[in-house]
Formats: sequence, C-alpha cells, structure tokens
Amino acid sequence: MKDTFSGLHPIVNFTYFTAVILFSMFFMHPVFLGFSLVSALIYSIYLNGIKAAKFNFLYMLPLLLLVALINPLFNHEGVTILLFINDNPITYESIIYGIASATMFISVIIWFSCYNSVVTSDKFIYLFGKIIPSLSLILSMTLRFVPKFKAQIKVISNAQKCIGRDVSNGNVLQRARNGIKIISILITWALENSIETADSMKCRGYGLKGRTSFSNYRFDKRDKSVLGTICGLILLMIFGMVLGENTIDYFPSIIFKEITIISAIVYIGYAALLLIPVALNIMEDIKWYHLKSKI
Amino acid sequence: MVSFEIKDLSFFYPNSEKKALNNINIQIEQGEFITICGKSGCGKSTLLRHLKPILTPHGDKTGEIFFEGQPLLKMNLREQASKIGYVLQNPDNQIVTDKVWHELAFGLESLGLDNATIRLRIAEMASFFGIQDWFMKDVAELSGGQKQLLNLASIMAMQPQVLILDEPTSQLDPIAASEFLETVKKINREIGTTVILSEHRLEEVFPMSDRAVVMDNGEIIVCDTPQNVGERLKKNENDMYVSMPSAVQIYGGIESNLPCPLTVREGRKFLDSLGLKPNDEYITEKKQAKNPAETVICLNDVWFKYEKSGKDIIKGLSLEVKKGMIHAIVGGNGTGKTTALTLINGVNKPYRGKVKLNGKEIAKYSGKELFSNNLGVLPQNPQALFVKNTVELDLLEMLSDKHLSQEEKSNKVNEVAELVEITDRLQMHPYDLSGGEQQKAALAKVLLLEPKILLLDEPTKGLDNFFKIKLGGILNKLISNGVTVLLVSHDIEFCAKFADVCSMFFDGSVITTNTPKMFFSGNSFYTTAANRMSRHLFRNAITNEDVIKSCNQS
Amino acid sequence: MQSELNESNRISKRLVLTAAIILIAVPLTIAFGIFFLDDKKYYIISLLIIIYTMIPFFISFEKRRPQARELLVIAILCAITVAGRAAFVMLPQVKPVAAIVIISGVCFGPTSGFLVGAVSAFVSNIFFGQGPSTPWQMFCFGLIGFLAGILFRKGIIQKSRFSLCIFGGISVIVIYGGIINLSALLMFSAKFSWKALMTIYAAGIPFDLVHAASTMFFLVVLSNPMIVILDRIKKKYGLIET
Repeated sequence: MKDTFSGLHPIVNFTYFTAVILFSMFFMHPVFLGFSLVSALIYSIYLNGIKAAKFNFLYMLPLLLLVALINPLFNHEGVTILLFINDNPITYESIIYGIASATMFISVIIWFSCYNSVVTSDKFIYLFGKIIPSLSLILSMTLRFVPKFKAQIKVISNAQKCIGRDVSNGNVLQRARNGIKIISILITWALENSIETADSMKCRGYGLKGRTSFSNYRFDKRDKSVLGTICGLILLMIFGMVLGENTIDYFPSIIFKEITIISAIVYIGYAALLLIPVALNIMEDIKWYHLKSKI
Repeated sequence: MVSFEIKDLSFFYPNSEKKALNNINIQIEQGEFITICGKSGCGKSTLLRHLKPILTPHGDKTGEIFFEGQPLLKMNLREQASKIGYVLQNPDNQIVTDKVWHELAFGLESLGLDNATIRLRIAEMASFFGIQDWFMKDVAELSGGQKQLLNLASIMAMQPQVLILDEPTSQLDPIAASEFLETVKKINREIGTTVILSEHRLEEVFPMSDRAVVMDNGEIIVCDTPQNVGERLKKNENDMYVSMPSAVQIYGGIESNLPCPLTVREGRKFLDSLGLKPNDEYITEKKQAKNPAETVICLNDVWFKYEKSGKDIIKGLSLEVKKGMIHAIVGGNGTGKTTALTLINGVNKPYRGKVKLNGKEIAKYSGKELFSNNLGVLPQNPQALFVKNTVELDLLEMLSDKHLSQEEKSNKVNEVAELVEITDRLQMHPYDLSGGEQQKAALAKVLLLEPKILLLDEPTKGLDNFFKIKLGGILNKLISNGVTVLLVSHDIEFCAKFADVCSMFFDGSVITTNTPKMFFSGNSFYTTAANRMSRHLFRNAITNEDVIKSCNQS
Repeated sequence: MQSELNESNRISKRLVLTAAIILIAVPLTIAFGIFFLDDKKYYIISLLIIIYTMIPFFISFEKRRPQARELLVIAILCAITVAGRAAFVMLPQVKPVAAIVIISGVCFGPTSGFLVGAVSAFVSNIFFGQGPSTPWQMFCFGLIGFLAGILFRKGIIQKSRFSLCIFGGISVIVIYGGIINLSALLMFSAKFSWKALMTIYAAGIPFDLVHAASTMFFLVVLSNPMIVILDRIKKKYGLIET
C-alpha cells in the first residue's frame, strides 16, 4: 500500500513525528497512552503490514512484562500497599505506573518504526542540508559508501580466498589474521580511491562560497493545510498541558483531572493528531474508489 | 574562437629530473573534438590536468595556458568549476552522494543556484541523457556504464564550455564504452561543447575526432587530423602504431599511396582498392595442438544459481581446458563468464554437475591444496590483493607461510618481478603504480604461489595496447613453462592475438569452442575489426598482422 | 603552524559556544523541566542536555567549512564502522564501533573522533532502525572518540595496543554503559533513585562486559594496521588534525 502521508513534504513528516513521539513519551495519562498505542499500531500495520506489527508486538511483549514488573520492585512509593516482599512494600500505584511506562515505551518504539519507513534518509538529509550542510553531505556519502564497501569486502575476501587466505578455515589465529587483512585492504582501498572522489568534488566546485541545497520536494497547498492542522493540534495539546488535562499524578496516589468538556476536546484533539496519516490514507482511498467507479 | 591556447608548457613533478611535459604548444578551437593518445605514462593525464587548475599537480611549471583569451590561472574558481568540465577515469570513485538526482544536482549546488534553476537543469540533463528512468534510484543500483553516464551528465548540468575526459571508458565493457562515446559525440555535435578526450581504445574515438594529438615522453609528436596522423606516423615508423585503430595499423603495414582509412568500412575500401585476389592460404594456425594433451580443467554439465528461487546463471556448462594452452572465454556482459570462473576456483559451488581439476573434483580439494602450487586466480580488480606499503613487501608477504630462508624468498621475489617487468617498481607503494603496473604486480603476487593453472578475469581491463602486448608476452612465457591459462575477456582483439583456444559464452554456457582462426573467421559480427575488414579477401586473417602478411604476400 | 593556529582558534570558539550553552540553555531547560514537566522531567531534561552538548561540535565543524578530503575521510571511517557493525550484527554487543571510533580519534584528533562516533551511531541506526536511544548512542560514541583524541594529544594514551585497549575497555564500561543504562532508567521511571540506578547498572554489567571485551579485542587486532594506513593517508594528502 502506498502511504499518502509519506508523499507530503518532509517538514510535515518530521514535525508530525517529533510531536507524536515527544507527546507519547510525555503524556502518561491512561487515555493518552491508549490513544497513542492504538494509533501507532494502526499506522504501522498500514505502513509495514500486519506481519511486521505482529513481530513487533511479540518481540515487545516480554519487554512490556519486564518493565511492568521491575518498576514496583524498585519503586516503593504510593499509598495503596498490596503486599511486602523482603520488607519492601509493593504498591498499587507503582504497578499501575509500571504498566503505564511499558505502554509508553512500546508505543514509542512502534512510532519509531513508522518514522523509519516514512522519514527516509534523503528526507532527513534535505531537512538538515540547509542547517548543517557539511554534516548532511557526510551523511549522504556514508550512505553511499556502506553498500559500496559491503560489495568490496566480498570482492576482497574472494580474491584472498583464491590465494589461499580464507577466513572460513584455519585456526582461530589464522582466521583473525586473514580477517584483519581483509579490513586493512578495504580501508587502504577506500582511502586511496577517495582521492579521485575528492577531485571529482573539486571539479564540480565543492568549497565555493554560498553552496545551496537542492531538493525534489515542493511545499504545496496540501502540505500547508496538513502542517497547519498539525500545528493547531500541537497548540491544543500544549494548552491542555497547561490546564493539566493530559497529566496525571501516580504518586503518592493516582490523581487526574475530572473529565470535562474541555478535557474531551483535548482527548479528541490528541486522537486527531495521532490519526492524521491514517485519515489521509482513508480519504485518498475513498477518492480513488470514486474516481474508479466513474470510469 | 580559441578555447584553449597552450604556449611552451613544460612541467616537472617534484623530485623528478624527467620532464613530465616538454614544450607543449597547441591551440584548441571552440567546438573541436580532440583526442589525445599515447602510451600510459606519456603525460596525457598530466597535460589534461593542467587544463583545470584545481586538479593541476604540484611541481615546476613553465609556459602559459590561456582559456578563451584569458590566462587560465587568472580565472576564478567559480568560473573554472562551471566552464571547464572534467570527467575522470573510474566511474565509481567520482560519485559522491547516494542518490542519482542528488549527484546530478551536486555541482549546481556548489555554484549556489536556486532550487528552480537546478530543477530545470536537471530535468534537461535527464532528458538529454535518457536517464529519467533511474532518476530516483540509489547509485548503488547502477551498472558501471550508467555510473559513468551519470558522471558525464552531472558535469554537463553545469553547462561547461569545454568537456575534458581522462580515459573515461577504460573501466567499461565495450558496449557501455561505445554508448558512452556516442553520447560524448552527441554533446559535441549537438551542443557544440569543445571535447578534449584521452583514450586507449581508439577504434571508435579516432573517426569521431577533428584532430588527434599523439604524445610520447611528455612531448607532442604529431597533432593533425586523424587521417594525417595515420599517414605521418607511417612515415616516421613510430611505435605508437600499436595503439592506433586496426584500419590505421593495417594501412601502416602495406605500401600504398592511398589516404589513410579510419573505420572498418574505409579499411575495406582501402583493401579493395589495392586490387588483391582472395586467398585463404597465407594464414596457418599459430600452433598445432599437441595431441593428445591432457585435460586440466573439466566442467561437465554444470548448473548454478545464487539462490534457490533465483534464476539459473550457469546452464549446463561443459568445458575442457587442455594443458599448456591459453584458453579464452569471450562473450557479452552478464552472460555468466565471471560466474563460471568462480565455479572453477571454488568460491561458488554448482548445484548440479561436476567441476574437476586434474581429474579430481574441486570440492574434494582442501584450500591449501587448491591454491598453492596448483590454481592461481587474478581478480578483476588487482587492488583487492595489495596489503603492504611497498610492492616488495607485498610480494614477500605471499611467501610468509613458506619455510624459506630470507635469501631464497628475496630471490623468488626478484625472479618473478623480472618476469613481469616490475623490478624498478619494487620500492613503490602499490597504489602509486599505474593501472597496468598494478595489474602486473598483482600477477606477480599470484605467480609466487607457483600455480600450474592460472585463471584471469578481464586481464586487459584499463590497459593500453603496449601493456596488452607485454601481458600477452608474459602469458606466452608462462605456458612455455607448462602453465595453463584460462582467461575471461571482452577484449576480442587480445584473444585473437594471444589465445590458443577461444570459447564463446552465451546465456550461461559455452556455445562453441575452436582455435582463434576458426573461431573468429566463422563469426561475422563477433570478430576482430581486422577480420571484418578483410574477410571478403582473406577469410582466415584475424589479426592486423595476419592481414598485413596476407596483403604483402599476394 | 597555520593549522595549529586555526586549531586553537577553533577550540576557543567552541569553548565560548559551549560555555554559552551551559550557562544559559542548560539552566533554562532545567527550570522549564521543573516548572512545567512532571514525571518525565529527568528524561526530557537529560535528552535536551545531551543534544545541546553535541551542537557546538557540529556548529564548529560547519563553521570552518571543511575540505572535500576531510569530509571523505570521515565518511569513509563512518561507513567502515557501520559495515563492521553490520558484519557482527548476529552477535549482540559485539560491536567494532567503539574501537574504530577510538582509532579515528587518536589519528585524526578529537573533533574527527567525535564526528565519526556520532555519525556512525546515527547512520547505523538508519540501517537498523532509529529508536529513542539514538541521540544517547550518538553522544556516547562521539564522546569516546573525542576523549580518545584529547587524551592522545595530552600524551595520556599512546598509539600502542596496550594503552588503547585500556582506554577502550574503560571508556566502553564507564561512558557507554554508564550513560546508556542511565538513559534507560530515566525513560522508564518517574523518580530517580540510587537504588534503581545501581540495580540497572548491575543488570547491565554482563552486556557492558561483552561490549568492552569485544572492543578490546578489536583494538588489539585492528589498531596497528589501521594506524599505519591512516597515518600514511594523513601524510600523503596533508590532512590537518582536528
């Protein structure tokens, strides 16, 4: 499935993920945690398929239990004592807090997996190309070199194998020696050949003053409206934060604000923010459905 | 209008007594297509690098260079970057970024152009070069030929007045090379960009050029139209002849007062106008097979693929290599030639069929048995072998696990260095050698294992004709010592000249195997230029020397 | 001489910037955290602080507009680090990253060491997936490279296997283990407690030991050949230490 949100301008993608990931880390209110986890799951299924999500979830489950269990063992705050282990109180609040942090952690991880498939390296390089041009060039070069080096390692190790220097047989010392030889050859090869790369950069005027950074991305009307929506919702969240709508005290006892109309608005706002990519995808699907049915 | 004017240019490298460039004088008109040729090390690259100050090597320089009437050194960096485009040799090393579009934009970003302008220029270039389809790809996905086209396109995006190319096709296979050169020609004809190109493979470039410059020992010995160059070299009996296109070489070997031919078509006309009678008898086989020679490499109905679900790369390959022969496998790109070699050297294993070496299955050899005193493999890229700081240490390193005295070791090293003629290079760093010398040093390394069978993968890649002849000589010396050579190559001229047996590889297996005479004279497209020129007269003549001999005898 | 002059100039610029950040941005962040954030304040504050500390390095690097060759050397070292990490990905905690970063720092100076560390961590996470620990890893490896450079310059560590190994082992356990474990704790728990910290350190010890041992192994086998190669390149192409 093609993700509509990924097609938006990188600034929109990046703003969205920064906000969502920070909010997910930060809002420990059960409603917010629940929203974040569910939206993250939906979006990651949409992006990476149900298999990846399943894998994520199974992989996460032990971690979730671990975090949920560890917390009450070390955190003895809270007023509702359930039992004592070695004279240490286990409290209801700290168990709940453990579950909450586990949920938070998992949703953050899932959000990152979405981030990884939406904000690709070239979007990142575009975003930071203007602020840190040399570093983003280093980044782009590193990304170019990694596959090149991996291929070259294969070439070198085959060539070495054919002069009887195989990494896969011989005793440990010989193997290690042959392995190091391969790495040495690779590094020498890479550095010596980079001189031509440096020449090619100089040929094309690298180092002149006033370098610009080109991008294939255009900020159009749709980007503007989505970014506007995201920013509006972020403001709403900050507003909610100031009012204390999305915070919760776990210790000494669990206290959160009563649910009012205002808090309902903040909740809905949060859900809306989280579900923007999914909503965009659904809108796109409907549009295509209509376009097709007209033909 | 004059593009470049070079006046009395001489140049010394630091700590060198020899002039790398000696009193160069030349004037290059705007829109000209100039080819610079000469042996490697004759100063071609040094001269070209003087035309772009940012690439000019350090050293003592006298004389002056003018670009469009202005002293070149007064030109500012920005103008220099955009007006003088320079394409280097290795397609892979010139690419800086990870995406095709970013690479195209790289130079324009340096010049500080705005987004809209860059977008337009890139779009133009992508359309002109026909690279829209791979525009959004990662550069890692491109083939060598595509990479070099990308390098050319990203230079052209800066709209240079002059395009300088330093052996741009030396790392490409013949088909990618001619595609690349066609594009350069198109740039010259359709955009009017001045082209200054240095090349080893002159077959295609020579007819395209307006003028050819022949250099030797840092001097320009001839500078004229390609035809006149051919005629003048003939008069001077210069050894530069070996690097000329076949038609010119044949012309040089035959007495006549006719104009010099450049292409196969012109060469054919030339031979026709000599009024010769068709005759097949002048050329006999170079060597009769010593029958019954024993088989050293034997592949029997071998199948191979990289993955179980992948497609077959080698399909039912059967091949026999006889002892003491130079056996050449020729064929197009991607037919599986190189993969076939990896089956023989044991790097890959077939899923069906057997590969035998001296009658014993390859899988039953231990690594040590296989590679010492038995099978030697020269990889396509010699740089995959160099580990040490000098060639000598690198060669000695090969003997490190042998129980020999210091003296015996250095004797062995000197012996092999003499064989491949790199004795004067022993103290240099392997990476400071030229491409041909690196090839020889790598060969020396492999030969120290004293192989009885030698596998070579594209041994002539990037070499000039002088080096090729030397390499051929070395191979001949080896087989006279009883070594068997199996090589894989695109270079049919080389195979025609030096191989004892040729096999045609196509679609994962060998289609036909024969002696070079029979092999190439039987083909009509896939054969040497000399044969294509003369087949209507002398069917069996496949090398330039054959044709010359036949002409002079009839 | 020229390069040395530039170097000291650069360091002082960086010092000013660092001082500004420490004196202004850090207290502001802490105040903001205390007044506005509740249970996640430790995590957010510390995350922001490590990001701040990386900024001066990046800015001073950008400011001096590095040459093509310098960028290439750093990119190559990063790519080798990333490829090395990928080669050992099946063995958890066996990573050559710290070893190569230390060698880079020793050969090319503290700034390059920092950049190789930080960029390698970032790029290897492009391949293995970014996560909440990315900035922390960038900071840790960067710091290890930076310290290697500084300590070598001060003569405290030498280009010898032994000395590099000691530094490698200690830095991985103290810097990497120390900081990454702390970040994990801050991520999960609302209140900071020494007891919890000690427990998480204790739980992390086996991992940190494997990591340290593998780093020392890589330093033993890699340091000599790599230093020879890097020094040759440095001389041949006249790269300045930074």
